[in-house]
Amino acid sequence: MMQLQHDYEEFVEKDTVIVAIGPENAEAFQSYWEEHKLSFYGLPDKKHTVLKMYGQKVNLFKLGRMPAQMLIDKEGILRYVHYGHSMKDIPENSEIFELIDTL
Amino acid sequence: MASVEVNKSAPDFEFVDFKGEVFKLSNFQGKKNVLIVLNRGFV
Repeated sequence: MMQLQHDYEEFVEKDTVIVAIGPENAEAFQSYWEEHKLSFYGLPDKKHTVLKMYGQKVNLFKLGRMPAQMLIDKEGILRYVHYGHSMKDIPENSEIFELIDTL
Repeated sequence: MASVEVNKSAPDFEFVDFKGEVFKLSNFQGKKNVLIVLNRGFV
């Protein structure tokens, strides 16, 4: 998530907020946020509710800890979904910036 | 593939973030794009 923080200012310039969602509890989020000085939103989701909502193939996620990103535009339309195939399979911020610029 | 489809409305949700504040996806409608990052874990 550090790469997101690294370009956070540019996300702000493009009117984009970031929300990280994970199964950790609030305390874990809190300490991680403080340690890395993250600026964006953090949602503890222990029951994987959002995960299930956005990813029908829960089995896919059960296989491991694969990251996923979704970009929703200002009309509330989902514009982009990326499911990682490995822990490191995260799109570059530049790819997301280009996408935002097309909205 | 995903149960959500690109170029369709994203499902709205409302959660309390780790600071205890309510985060509702549709609150940003008309104002901001939202990048949701599903990290399966920090470590």
